[in-house]
Amino acid sequence: MIEFLKKHYEIVEKAPRLYKLQIESDKLVEILSSVSINSNFITLSQIACTDWIEDEVFALNYILTTKERDKNLMVEVRISRVHCSLPTLLNLYPQAQVMERDLHEMYGINFRGNDTLYDFALENWNEIPPLRREFDTLAYVNEHFDFRIGREDNKDVKAEVKRRKAQAKESKDGK
Amino acid sequence: MPENTQEGFIDQQKVLDNEEYSIKNTQSIIQKAVDWFRARSMFVLAYGTGCGAIEMPPIFTSRYDIERLGVVGVATPRQADILIVSGYCSYKTLKRVIRSYEQMNEPKYVIGLGSCTINGGMYWDSYNTIKKLDEYLPVDMYINGCMPRPEALIEGFVKLQDNIRNAKSEAGYIQYRENNAFYRANQEKIFGKNTTPTFEENFAGMNQ
Repeated sequence: MIEFLKKHYEIVEKAPRLYKLQIESDKLVEILSSVSINSNFITLSQIACTDWIEDEVFALNYILTTKERDKNLMVEVRISRVHCSLPTLLNLYPQAQVMERDLHEMYGINFRGNDTLYDFALENWNEIPPLRREFDTLAYVNEHFDFRIGREDNKDVKAEVKRRKAQAKESKDGK
Repeated sequence: MPENTQEGFIDQQKVLDNEEYSIKNTQSIIQKAVDWFRARSMFVLAYGTGCGAIEMPPIFTSRYDIERLGVVGVATPRQADILIVSGYCSYKTLKRVIRSYEQMNEPKYVIGLGSCTINGGMYWDSYNTIKKLDEYLPVDMYINGCMPRPEALIEGFVKLQDNIRNAKSEAGYIQYRENNAFYRANQEKIFGKNTTPTFEENFAGMNQ
């Protein structure tokens, strides 16, 4: 099966049972339909997104699994961070509905054709999507929460632990 | 306010622990008897918010068997006396927790289980997790640890029973009723005006 795909697409073998295919975003639906018809990579197990803020792209990996669950194929699509939009895969894989909804909430990616992109885990969220790397989590927390007294002594204690251990050792040797 | 500092907090605890200042001395004999019975019958709402919920099945089953202390699990908030907020509490969960709490009949008590309910715990820098549970709900007993063993939870129950029986401090539900504006303001800070029905609507008929 993988031989058939290798004939038509540039597939890279990343590991013994892991293959990778990099494609353009406008050919996504076309290529994935072809893969699901012509090979036994029939299950979409997850959509993983990486935020490459340096290159100003999102890298989305559609991870497909065979019927026997023995091989994985990663189909990578790179899209711009600014106008991030992709066609939905609802017609091919029904389970993509939840995954796309999650990605829409966490990265702000618009999936054209998926009409369930409303609040999922975050309710009443008015900031920029929290898993984008320009979102400063610590600044947000400091602005919106006040901490209980006692939290401020939460410092790096490695040096102090080292000093105490040395002190204990000294006193032990002295005896 | 002196209780905003750590020393002030410790002083306040000492005052609360002192027998002379306790509410017990101002209570009638009937009230004392009612409190004694109440401490021996605590119905816990079967609802787990975070990872601490995994400590509850061993407590209710044969290994630790907390039913010998009069603690029983029930299915709905209307039947429950005790709400255990077990572990981290995200915004979405907190909304459901408040709804459940307001549906419970008085007297009702809240137990905060785990470090996350006290100061955020390991989620102290999370954008979606509350840091201090007592800003939103009146907490009667905190059990620290990440996560606490079932023995710690049992000790928390025993202490709470002791507090109820001896009326050491004012129960949380009375504070929630009297200082409702404070809790409501904190809740609205994160939810906006979407936390309907309001507490006033729930208790509109109670004072008549």
